[in-house]
Amino acid sequence: MSGLSVGMFLFLVSVGMSLIFGVTRIVNLAHGSFYMVGAYLMVTLVEVLPDRPWAFWLALVAAPLGVAVLGGAIEVGLLRLIYHRDPLMQLILTFGLILVISTLVLLVWGPDNKSVSRPDALAGSVLIFGQRFPSYYLLVLGLAPVVAVGLWLIFYRTRWGMLIRAATVDREMLGALGVNVAALYTQVFAFGSWLAGLGGALAAPTVAVALGMDGDVLTTAFVVVVIGGLGSFAGSFISALLVGLLQSFGILVFPAVSIVLLFAIMAVVLIVRPWGLLGRPEE
Amino acid sequence: MRARIRDAICGAGVMLVVTAAGGPVAAQTKAPIRIGEINSYSGLGTVYTFPYREGLLMAAKEINDAGGVLGRPIEFIFRDDKLKPDEAVKAARELVGQEKVDFLAGCISSGVGLAISAYAKEAKVLYIATHCQTSRLTWDDGHKYVAHTTNNVNQYVRALAKKAATMPYKKWAHISPDYEYGHNVWDEFSAYLKQLKPDVEVVQQNWPKLGETDHSSYVTALLQSGADAFLSSVWGAQEIAFVKQARPFGLFEKVHYFSASVGNPDELDPLGKEAPVGAITPGFAWYDDGMQKRHPKLAEWVKKYEARAKKEPTLGASWGYASAYIIAEAIKRAKSADTDKVITAFSEGFEMEFPWGKVIMRGCDQQAIPPQWIGVVRMNTKGKPVLADVEEVHGKDVIKSCDEVAKLRAAAAEKKK
Repeated sequence: MSGLSVGMFLFLVSVGMSLIFGVTRIVNLAHGSFYMVGAYLMVTLVEVLPDRPWAFWLALVAAPLGVAVLGGAIEVGLLRLIYHRDPLMQLILTFGLILVISTLVLLVWGPDNKSVSRPDALAGSVLIFGQRFPSYYLLVLGLAPVVAVGLWLIFYRTRWGMLIRAATVDREMLGALGVNVAALYTQVFAFGSWLAGLGGALAAPTVAVALGMDGDVLTTAFVVVVIGGLGSFAGSFISALLVGLLQSFGILVFPAVSIVLLFAIMAVVLIVRPWGLLGRPEE
Repeated sequence: MRARIRDAICGAGVMLVVTAAGGPVAAQTKAPIRIGEINSYSGLGTVYTFPYREGLLMAAKEINDAGGVLGRPIEFIFRDDKLKPDEAVKAARELVGQEKVDFLAGCISSGVGLAISAYAKEAKVLYIATHCQTSRLTWDDGHKYVAHTTNNVNQYVRALAKKAATMPYKKWAHISPDYEYGHNVWDEFSAYLKQLKPDVEVVQQNWPKLGETDHSSYVTALLQSGADAFLSSVWGAQEIAFVKQARPFGLFEKVHYFSASVGNPDELDPLGKEAPVGAITPGFAWYDDGMQKRHPKLAEWVKKYEARAKKEPTLGASWGYASAYIIAEAIKRAKSADTDKVITAFSEGFEMEFPWGKVIMRGCDQQAIPPQWIGVVRMNTKGKPVLADVEEVHGKDVIKSCDEVAKLRAAAAEKKK
């Protein structure tokens, strides 16, 4: 069960990364930083808002939106300048963003570890099949599939989703057809950032909000995206669940190799299907 | 334009040096004693190093205002090690080669401390390790070019084990991060507990990786272990996550929680109302009534620190403060900032009184032996988690003897061959 909820956190973060890559072809190394900012914004909002049960939920909505604004601003101010450059430049830029955001977080929020208390209603546990299960994880277990279905509806049932799918296939053609591709990129980047922020805000009550949480999540999210296939949403979902379960069961069955196991699977996937489980091979 | 930028940079540099020396210094014209301080001043170490640096600079200012050491001001030149041993050694080379510092100091990560120590031995520079904890520094890998001004793992873990031995628990489990520090803590704890109470039994062990964020499976394993009590040496952000994840399972009501670090404010404060009430753990409980009665000068020191830092002190702040004074004392005793003479001062050993009690600098291993405090996590009247029922054990009553240290060093030398 806990493996499932870990998988759900991973899904939220990695699907945003995958989405951004799928459309803009940028491997956003700063995605973990957006996750961290989401968690820190959550802390601040819960502190600032009055100590009422609704404050938690309001913060949970507002914090990811803040991250989306940040993501959008970064896309317009920085990434837009380098789309036509060498992919290596993009990696250097987003890597630089990790350092900048980490320093800014230290300046704004200071060095102390922080945390958010769970709302009282979700602080305890429930019995499922005779096993105690933290009720907060139920929220995560419920929310992530809603996001997954929501994403599916957006991509396959709206015009905006159609444009995004078209952009992943052929950007030039889309531009030639009169679509404002630049604006679409900004929206997608902000949306991907929102997903990372949501992951961070949701995770805040279960971990310590601290410097360094960006790196931890980035590595795992990256593995999830690679296994699932860069740019594939269903792939991210399946691979996030796989990795979440693997981390939980791996610890119980082969504690010594559970970390290696993750990367071993990534290596096998890369050898057998270099484009990931549900990705598309490059032509 | 370029000249102006250069002036601005030089100006900023001068300002930095002045701040580092602890403000303008009272009429001292003699050249300062310069100490290169290498520590983690970016990233996740800052929660410990910022209060530590505050304590260090507070002591440096007091020392300099009172006329300095041998009439010379002391000055710290700070470098960021980014938590990486190779970065730290690079900084050490630069400080010794270009900045011409008299001594090296610092460290939060044990790996960094050991790396600087190895460099110091080779370069014949005295390195005063401050904030890191590993016992290997002055014991297995000890040599005359390294002194350690704070606690090592052996002392506070043994103090905790001593407390554990007074309680009726026989079946023990643990959760420790799978790297040098975690193994060090568990080995020291289990060995000393068995020595004091031969009928204890280890029923289950958990070794999560350092920085693990999901602990659910370990929590389940601890619940099913049948242990009466367990020791945790996961620390910082990881321990906060562990506590938050273990709480809904009711782990702390079923198995008594002993922790090497949960009593520090960097963990208790963010945990807030989710703190593990009843946990037994070491910590610098300056706010405790018994503590303030035993150490009448403590309250005044806390006030002075708060006026300066605008924050409550931490264990690290007290370590920074003590470290600067211990370095100054060694130089005073040596009557010179000459490396060999200061090493002689350290190797002869000395004792100093601090607002929180006596710190012994032991000569045989150049290792500090401070008082240790063990308490129980409770909620205070304002609903804030604190350490209560604080008991004091001096490190000298639990630490390994000079003979035992000599054996450790001999064994380590044997291994290297």
